[in-house]
Amino acid sequence: MKERKNIKKLLNIGAICFAIVLLYIFNQVFNSFQMRIFNLCGIYVILALSLNLINGFVGLFSLGHAGFMAVGAYTCALLTMSPDMKAMNFFLEPIAPWLENINLPFGSALIVSGLMAAIAGALIGAPVLRLKDDYLAIATLGFGEIIRVIFTNTQSITNGSLGLKGLAKIGWFNASSESIWWIWGIVILTIVFMVRLIGSSYGRAFKAIREDEIAAEAMGINLFKHKMMAFVIGAFLAGIGGALLGHLIGTIDPLMFRFLLTFNIVLIVVLGGTGSITGSVISAVIVTVAMEALRVLDGNIEIGGYMIQGIPGMRMVVFSLLLMIVILYYQRGLMGTNEFSWDILIKRFKPSKH
Amino acid sequence: MKKHVAILLILVLMMSLFSVGCVKKVETAQEGEQGAQEDVIKIGVFEPLTGANAAGGELEVQGIKLANEKYPEVLGKKVELVIVDNKSDKVEAANAATRLVDKDNVSVVLGSWGSGFSIAAGQVLKEKQVPAIGTSATNPLVTKNNDYYYRVCFIDPFQGKVMANYAFNEVGAKKVALVIEKSNDYSVGLAKFFEEAFVALTGDENAIVSKVFYITGDQDFSAQLTNLKDSGAEAIFAPGNFTESALIMKQARELGIDLPILGGDTWETPDLLDIAKETAEGVVFSTFFDAKATFNENTTEFLEAYEKAYPGKEPAAVTALSYDAYVLAIDAIERAGSADPKAIRDAIAATKDFKGAAGIVNFDENGDAVKSAVIKTVKDGKFTFKTIVDPK
Repeated sequence: MKERKNIKKLLNIGAICFAIVLLYIFNQVFNSFQMRIFNLCGIYVILALSLNLINGFVGLFSLGHAGFMAVGAYTCALLTMSPDMKAMNFFLEPIAPWLENINLPFGSALIVSGLMAAIAGALIGAPVLRLKDDYLAIATLGFGEIIRVIFTNTQSITNGSLGLKGLAKIGWFNASSESIWWIWGIVILTIVFMVRLIGSSYGRAFKAIREDEIAAEAMGINLFKHKMMAFVIGAFLAGIGGALLGHLIGTIDPLMFRFLLTFNIVLIVVLGGTGSITGSVISAVIVTVAMEALRVLDGNIEIGGYMIQGIPGMRMVVFSLLLMIVILYYQRGLMGTNEFSWDILIKRFKPSKH
Repeated sequence: MKKHVAILLILVLMMSLFSVGCVKKVETAQEGEQGAQEDVIKIGVFEPLTGANAAGGELEVQGIKLANEKYPEVLGKKVELVIVDNKSDKVEAANAATRLVDKDNVSVVLGSWGSGFSIAAGQVLKEKQVPAIGTSATNPLVTKNNDYYYRVCFIDPFQGKVMANYAFNEVGAKKVALVIEKSNDYSVGLAKFFEEAFVALTGDENAIVSKVFYITGDQDFSAQLTNLKDSGAEAIFAPGNFTESALIMKQARELGIDLPILGGDTWETPDLLDIAKETAEGVVFSTFFDAKATFNENTTEFLEAYEKAYPGKEPAAVTALSYDAYVLAIDAIERAGSADPKAIRDAIAATKDFKGAAGIVNFDENGDAVKSAVIKTVKDGKFTFKTIVDPK
């Protein structure tokens, strides 16, 4: 038993080293288009994991994710933007003086944006987490919209509906090759953190709450404390994901953080399996890559000498059909609540001794 | 068994969808692939073809395709349009622009409907040093601090000034109330520049007597309008989305407010008339284009081509603008004498008195078009051309 634990530890370290080598290779061979998609995959992995923690593991149906992302994205954008850039952006109404000269390095700005989102999560969580099921969904959905409306109206802080442009590139050195390390570094950290969290006593408490709240409470689990914890951690990660997304595309505006964005992430989580870390990672990558890969369907296609004229939006149709097929065959998502584990692999290569 | 049936059904569905998509016999299949590629100049187009803004994107692609049919060649090479969908989404817009540059190696990019998408793509294009010509994106941020983005439409400051002039000179108003759609960058910008110009014209600090706000999707404006009613305003300037604006017209008249209502180019849709009905009568707005406002011979050319392709239909302003964007791109490639993006950028920047279907285009230092505006009104339930206002 001890031996197996050591093997697994080695395998884990080996896998992370392998991932780093892989990232290095990708950074060399990918062109900027592939790089962008790959980085987007990473960001969606972070976002999917953060939502899965709330929705999948604790069973709280929260739809306020876009709101947390908006908080994170705006915080990071405003903290890292140079005063010149701010003057350029705020041409209609001058920026609030206390914000004008703040200029933090990317790393600390990212952490602050996560913290701001976590604070927003705590503020909204305290009153709302007493609700259950649909009511919670409605309340959090409302929260997401409220954040968007606030950001639209605070023109001297967020530039309102005009949005912000010229966000710095991800990283310290303003180089494109840096973003993959930041994004996928955070992905690896998030995955390790999530695996440790879910495996801990907190994780088991989360799952107990998901299965049966009353039974969990009877077992001595403090419902509110655990729900709050999951919600705040989820918001923190969503804030970081939102900040990375904003900096990847280089511009943000309140319209970007509509309900549709939350819906995209819910889709990834459900497709991967609510309550599976592995599932979220796999489905975030699949969904992001598929949306671009299916783009060929929008254009003209040639089959056997016949030209099928492209219809814009065809990829969306095919994408939804593929989703339907997947859900028909895997009713609980690609992974259900299963996780990838070394045990299965070890068993395959080394039949048990007894 | 059930699952097999389901799969079969889905496949049938898929096939039928494809067959609806007009199968055509390929005529040029035999042409050598390599040879064809060298003789082609690629122009990228990114537009919202699906999602919330699909209608606008569709109209612009119409104009670009029309222009492509008219001018299919440049420098003796065939022009190939690479049209990609940005799904009315910023992330997708940035993806689409990267794809156009990296994968399709386009020389110049056209688009898009919606400022947010243009800004997102602009960040990518600036870095890749590929020029872009905007069609109808009016947010000043699109071209600001970006030497590779130009546009063929005038922007909010000019339009605000035009309407302020109209309110002051034609309506004779000394006091104006603003109704602003706070969640719409276009409305916020237009109102701001209207205010500046109007205050300057009247020389009265308090010429704007009332400012009321609403948000996209609002239905009831009675609170805002009641406020505005007793403000002593002599005209209302209410730029914004057409649905909400139509409701404002309707509710204003119901409340007994019979002041002149002024607005911007977004009003020019049949939906506005459908919703506001007779209450839209007499409203005045500025826009880019009208079939009756003949700027030059290219306007006639565009109208003829449009009539041929879509008989009995009136072209939308954005269709004319996107037509201009394509023709300007071709013109710039011609002048640059190569398909090199940087050379094309310099050629676009050097554009002087380009005769577009929607007016003569010159660029200011930001890359925004300086051109004439058209003023229209609603008369007998129809959009009617009033006058052309030249830039000063």
